Amino acid sequence: MRSVPSAPLVGPFADRLLALDFPALEPARREQAIAFAIRRVDGLPSVMNVGVVLIAMLFRIVLALPGNDAMLRFFARTPLPLLGEYVRLVRSLGYAYIFETWPDTRPDGSSPVGASAITTSASASPDPGTVE
Amino acid sequence: MSGIEPHQSHVRAQVLVVGSGAGGATTAALLAEAGFEVLIVEEGPWVDQDSVTPFSLDQMDRQYRSGGVTVALGFPSIAYTEGRCAGGGTEVNSGLYFRPPLDVVDRWRRDFRIQGLDVDDLESIADEVEQAINVTTVPGNPTPASEILRRGAAALNWRHSEIPRWMKYPAGGDAVTGKRQSMTRTYLPRAFAAGARMLVETRVDRLVDNGLNVTAHVTYGDGTGRTPGGAITASHVFVCGGAIQTPALLQRSGIRSHIGRTLAVHPTVKLTAKFADEVNVPDDVPVHQVKEFAPDLSFGGSASHSGLVALALTDEWRTFSTAIEDWRRMSIYYAAITSEGRGWVQHLPGFRDPLVTYRLSHRDREVLRSGLGRLALLTLEAGATEVYPSFRGAPVVRGRGDLATMQQRFAASKASVMTVHLCSTVPMGEHRDRCGADSFGKVHGAERVWVNDASLLPTAPGVNPQATVMAFAIRNARRFIEQQQPHRPHRSPGATQNGAQV
Repeated sequence: MRSVPSAPLVGPFADRLLALDFPALEPARREQAIAFAIRRVDGLPSVMNVGVVLIAMLFRIVLALPGNDAMLRFFARTPLPLLGEYVRLVRSLGYAYIFETWPDTRPDGSSPVGASAITTSASASPDPGTVE
Repeated sequence: MSGIEPHQSHVRAQVLVVGSGAGGATTAALLAEAGFEVLIVEEGPWVDQDSVTPFSLDQMDRQYRSGGVTVALGFPSIAYTEGRCAGGGTEVNSGLYFRPPLDVVDRWRRDFRIQGLDVDDLESIADEVEQAINVTTVPGNPTPASEILRRGAAALNWRHSEIPRWMKYPAGGDAVTGKRQSMTRTYLPRAFAAGARMLVETRVDRLVDNGLNVTAHVTYGDGTGRTPGGAITASHVFVCGGAIQTPALLQRSGIRSHIGRTLAVHPTVKLTAKFADEVNVPDDVPVHQVKEFAPDLSFGGSASHSGLVALALTDEWRTFSTAIEDWRRMSIYYAAITSEGRGWVQHLPGFRDPLVTYRLSHRDREVLRSGLGRLALLTLEAGATEVYPSFRGAPVVRGRGDLATMQQRFAASKASVMTVHLCSTVPMGEHRDRCGADSFGKVHGAERVWVNDASLLPTAPGVNPQATVMAFAIRNARRFIEQQQPHRPHRSPGATQNGAQV
């Protein structure tokens, strides 16, 4: 089974989640981070990709319901089994991209004055951290 | 690179080596130098080391499987990474070198009934490997993050040392000046010089043994299936795709007995420590390790660029987020354990990639807890002003008085657990109730298929396994050469030493 394209499902959720976590992040930067997260989800091993897309469908439905802001806040803060792993995945990908690409980003997503054009060599990672 | 061949619909080779990492590259070099016609296939691309920033997202895109987002499912799930490029994991790891631990090797020999395993022979192969990949310590200064490990361990009187790496340094050069002596710079060029050829961006979907030889059905290109595939026919096949891909390929080929059922790893938990001075070195890792509690527990340092620091803080972002502004004064450290747990690698029909699972034992969870506590203590002793453990609900640790709270709140199920050492999915030996391959890597029940990578190690060795993988791969390749020499067709002088004949 090939990867299932995830953009229509993951994109809107990542957008809302990152907007919630980083209210002062420039929209153009948020869009780049979302594109990165979608690319990584599309490249997941096939079994994981299918699982993530199924959960993403559920979240897409949640985002279409009335009162979705409150529900999004609940899911963003509550580490539920499986559903929480999806939130964690999207969040990790977004954070890694934002802080590697623009390392001086502040915790609210804003940039230091005059630093908006400064970028690194443009890469971070979900976690190559422990690399013996 | 001179040995790389274009994709073709049908290729013949005497020996096909699947995978080009620590096991595959050494196997290919030895067999080619012994006169065999060798074809190496590698699923990923050839990436020149100098064209990529170490530990960056760009590197993960180009050299890691699935961009580095691979997980063994469980409670907790364990993130792992696999190299997917020419040279495999040797291109992306930290290059830390540990000789095969002889007490562990001796235990494997007894428990798994590995025949012909001579410890002295393995030591002699290790000497040879160390010369080939230039194992050495840093001639100049280690990074500040590495010095922290040394200082903390010294303050606690814990056993520690600088771990040598397979690197070349300029005279007197500091740690960050090293050039990794990975497989694309050592054994693969040797294999090419001896006539081996290589197909990159070539995935072997399955192997079919027709009684006389083996046909490998392959897909070329980016793996989307949009590029036409092909077939490779070989007299012998060495599967060296690593502890996840090797059992998955064997299972897809109908070989399942004791394959993929005993995945072993070194699970790690981590923390981020903040210091008064700038300590962050984005593109290198510490060379010091602390082995006071080894083999159960070891401490080391991780890559720590700004994106990874943010990632390490996400488990408790609401409390830790303001720390990210000080990332230049922060570095990430890990506690790695020798695990009693085991995992599975399972091919699922219809899916391209296998399902990977791992289950930590109760003892593993407790060692992770105590490991994180001791690691926090070590960084405090080294001068950390604040420590941020990577688990949900973690407190900021500012002194010894906070350690009890941290350990009380810790649960492995709330932590970001990861690993890089994947082993033991086709254990070697004559114990037929436990082993998927014989004492020299030949797959039990298969006539023409060998395994020669980390899958063969019967358990996780408790240290970085690359040297052990290479030593066993060389030992097994030599055995194959000895056994095949009398039957091998003589190559006429002057004949082209092409590994692949179309």
